[in-house]
Amino acid sequence: MLDLLLVEVWRSLLALRRYPLELLGAVVTLSLIFYLLFLGARFLAGPGVEFGGRLEAVLVGYLLWTFTLSAYNGLSFGLMEETQTGTLEQVFLTPYGPVRLYLVRDLAGLFTQGLLVFLIALVLMALTGARLAFTPQVLLPFLAVLLGGYGLGFAVGSLALLYKRIGQLLGLSQFLLLFLLQAPGEGLFRLLPLAPGAALARRMLAEGAPLDPAPLFLSFLNGLVYLGAGLFLFRRAVRLAKGRGLLHGY
Amino acid sequence: MEPALLEAQGLRKRFGALEAVRGVSLALRPGEVLAFLGKNGAGKTTTVKMLSGLLLPDAGEVRLLGQDPFRDPWALRHLGAVLEGNRNTYWRLTALENLVYFGVARGLRLAAARKRALALLEEYGLWDKAHTEVRHLSRGMQQKLALLQALVHDPEVLLLDEPTLGLDVDTSLQMQDKIRALAKGGKAILLTTHQLEVAEALAHQVAIIHRGEVVLEESKEALLARFAGEHYVLELEAPPPPGVLAQLRALGVEGEGPFLVRGDGEALWRVLEALKPLPLKKVAKAEADLLEVFLKVVGRA
Ligand SMILES: Nc1ncnc2c1ncn2[C@@H]1O[C@H](COP(=O)(O)OP(=O)(O)OP(=O)(O)O)[C@@H](O)[C@H]1O
Ligand SMILES: [Mg+2]
Repeated sequence: MLDLLLVEVWRSLLALRRYPLELLGAVVTLSLIFYLLFLGARFLAGPGVEFGGRLEAVLVGYLLWTFTLSAYNGLSFGLMEETQTGTLEQVFLTPYGPVRLYLVRDLAGLFTQGLLVFLIALVLMALTGARLAFTPQVLLPFLAVLLGGYGLGFAVGSLALLYKRIGQLLGLSQFLLLFLLQAPGEGLFRLLPLAPGAALARRMLAEGAPLDPAPLFLSFLNGLVYLGAGLFLFRRAVRLAKGRGLLHGY
Repeated sequence: MEPALLEAQGLRKRFGALEAVRGVSLALRPGEVLAFLGKNGAGKTTTVKMLSGLLLPDAGEVRLLGQDPFRDPWALRHLGAVLEGNRNTYWRLTALENLVYFGVARGLRLAAARKRALALLEEYGLWDKAHTEVRHLSRGMQQKLALLQALVHDPEVLLLDEPTLGLDVDTSLQMQDKIRALAKGGKAILLTTHQLEVAEALAHQVAIIHRGEVVLEESKEALLARFAGEHYVLELEAPPPPGVLAQLRALGVEGEGPFLVRGDGEALWRVLEALKPLPLKKVAKAEADLLEVFLKVVGRA
């Protein structure tokens, strides 16, 4: 299993290394988008407001968004691509089974993206002269959000497996994701996926609130439940796809 | 007879209104190549996919070394497959990277996969292409790599769906040598192909599937002997004079030279009497080939 993780990380790093221009492009674009976001925010806030202190909050919020987004759509894009290129069936021949394999791929993807974001963070800091100073404890609710993100990813991956072309749906549902990340972490909203963890992270960053164990527990519970639900759906979808002969491309 | 490594009983698969596979049973034994033949759309690929755990049968079961690959995917480490089409590997990875990746994905440790990958590339003459991305390999090399990908974890059972499709004569012969050697090494192999000469060269067993049903299954030797029947082929050094020819026709001889003599040895002697003393070039027992068998069994339509 560890070897599988290693080889999946290796595979995704190879993809990055083999296309250095693509990688560079991604880094520069993401940095610019963020930079403009930052400028825009300062402009909206008005000249009188000192915004610099909130940079970390915006930055981490942005990172939370990009990580959740790829947790959400990474599996589906992978499935759609491999259905089209025709390697999906060979992947499904793994004795680990598709569910474990794709969990490991998610983990490997997280690692690779972490590396990418680290590079972007370096560029951003050079660009804005800002220094990061957020509390590392915010990584915990961050992680809880990602668990839920992967759960949703497996759920929508089930659709990708069964219906192939779901690019439009993925694009549209990003807005839903944005809503979930912005939703208040109170009342019934806490039952929504991603919401409690995201709200907790927001409070910690924006208001400097301390890490509160009760909402953190709730966030993890929420994340695990949605991950479990996602995996359950995906297992069903695999069985259905194998029943209907949907694993092949063309 | 050795026990089968892969066994399928009564496999059925329906796609909508079409019943693509109707009660197929097969057994693959160590050291044997089973040629699985049939026309386009007969249900070969559908069967192969059920055997490899990719397509859930509506009825029937598959046992891979006694285990059910649908319940217990770990059984799949005993199986390697070259699937129909040409995308069994990642085009953006090199030959070596593909083999290492699939080796680990099939259950090998990383170091073992690397070692095995290098050994295979060497053995199959792809050593100098180890660091070439698959999309830059020739079609023959890609197809070879697809076979290596199926072999990397050294499985006991190999399912090869048209592994020699689109290969030139040389590469196809090379591939056949390898498949023969693999069988000799004890692997149980299922081979589908439309190149009947390839099937004839490699097969120990032959199964013919027609409209989703196995209509014939037996050893190649027995099959060919059965279809050859008691016929003889006869060639002369020069065309016979008209009088002799008329005599031959009266004895029921067909053909314009080579001639076909139907019937047993006695019929042949009567024909030879009639030919005496014309010089003979060749007298031989007629042999059937798989093409003839195949056409007889599934018809030309
Ligand atoms: N996933 C699927 N959905 C619907 N029909 C299918 C599917 N897969 C196969 N079929 C149909 O099942 C029948 C058998 O197809 P199969 O691919 O098994 O044939 P084959 O013997 O491999 O033919 P070929 O020699 O052309 O490869 C065909 O009529 C095909 O159209
Ligand atoms: Mg086929």
